[in-house]
Amino acid sequence: MVQRLKPVDVVTIGVELTGSLAALELAKEGLTIVGLERGAARFTVPDFQSPAIHDELRFSIRKGMMQDNTKVAVTFRNNWNETALPIRRWESFLPGQGLGGSFVHWNGQSFRAQVADFIYKTHHEQPPSTIEPYKHCGSMTAGRQCTMKSPSRTGGRPGRKPSDGSLNWGFRQRTRALTKVKT
Amino acid sequence: VPNYIDKQLAGAWGTGERLYRSGPWQPGTPKQGYQLPLTPAELFHTALRAINQELSQTPFAQMSSDQQDEYLKSLEGGGKDLGGVPGDVFFTHLWECTLEGFFSDPVYGGNRNMVSWRMIGFPGAYASYYDLVDQHGIKIDRSPTSLAEDVHGRVHMNPNIPARSP
Repeated sequence: MVQRLKPVDVVTIGVELTGSLAALELAKEGLTIVGLERGAARFTVPDFQSPAIHDELRFSIRKGMMQDNTKVAVTFRNNWNETALPIRRWESFLPGQGLGGSFVHWNGQSFRAQVADFIYKTHHEQPPSTIEPYKHCGSMTAGRQCTMKSPSRTGGRPGRKPSDGSLNWGFRQRTRALTKVKT
Repeated sequence: VPNYIDKQLAGAWGTGERLYRSGPWQPGTPKQGYQLPLTPAELFHTALRAINQELSQTPFAQMSSDQQDEYLKSLEGGGKDLGGVPGDVFFTHLWECTLEGFFSDPVYGGNRNMVSWRMIGFPGAYASYYDLVDQHGIKIDRSPTSLAEDVHGRVHMNPNIPARSP
């Protein structure tokens, strides 16, 4: 039987990285949000509590947080000439399910950005001013350390707006430091 | 380790939990992963039956260590058919289960008294290394701790750990 629920302002499809961050930002604006996610609800306590969470066999080897292959199956091939076959157990990539989705077991490797990456990005892709309003969003919410320092133009402390209103990146300071080491 | 393997085969993993077991069936490339219709328990039983038949003259347990090594190598090399299970597939499963049994937490039935962790100096399931994070080059030689024990050394078996179900 269809049950009519109280209307809300926003519904997110999925409550993992994107869904939860979007919901958080929208909630700060005062909107009411419902997030839809398949699988179990998971919370810091007791689901991520030590020592049970350090169970390597259960989570790392047996893929305890991933989608159930008997319910969600995909086929896979390495090139056009192969016949695509079902992935019977997750190996090469690991889609998650449950509250937090793939984000709670996010296992990508994020190498620390080098000085050159910031220079390249600044000049060729995205002007810093377009990232500025959002740059803390993901890192703060996820509790991760942000490697991107606030724009600080004139060698000032990162996070302080330069007095001349111009924009600069913290990497300039690091560039100088690196040069010094080399010479 | 045999205790661990028995428990695993009789438990959820052994009976094919989270293993997609519908068609299409055909041998894939090694990169396409496991493609047999057997659950881990069926795979072990089928292969062991074939091995027992093949070695009916001299059972594996009665061979000398050198002969045993040689036989295992012949399985690992592939090309052997064990009642429909390729020898190398069985060898891989046996090898992985052996590693798991020896090195996984004692709650799973192997690694009694954390003997393998003591051997390699692995501290086990400590909750936090907060006070050690910025100390480098120091030796960590505390005795290991299992998932089932708390900081006071008391053992609390967690009934939600799957391998403990019968």
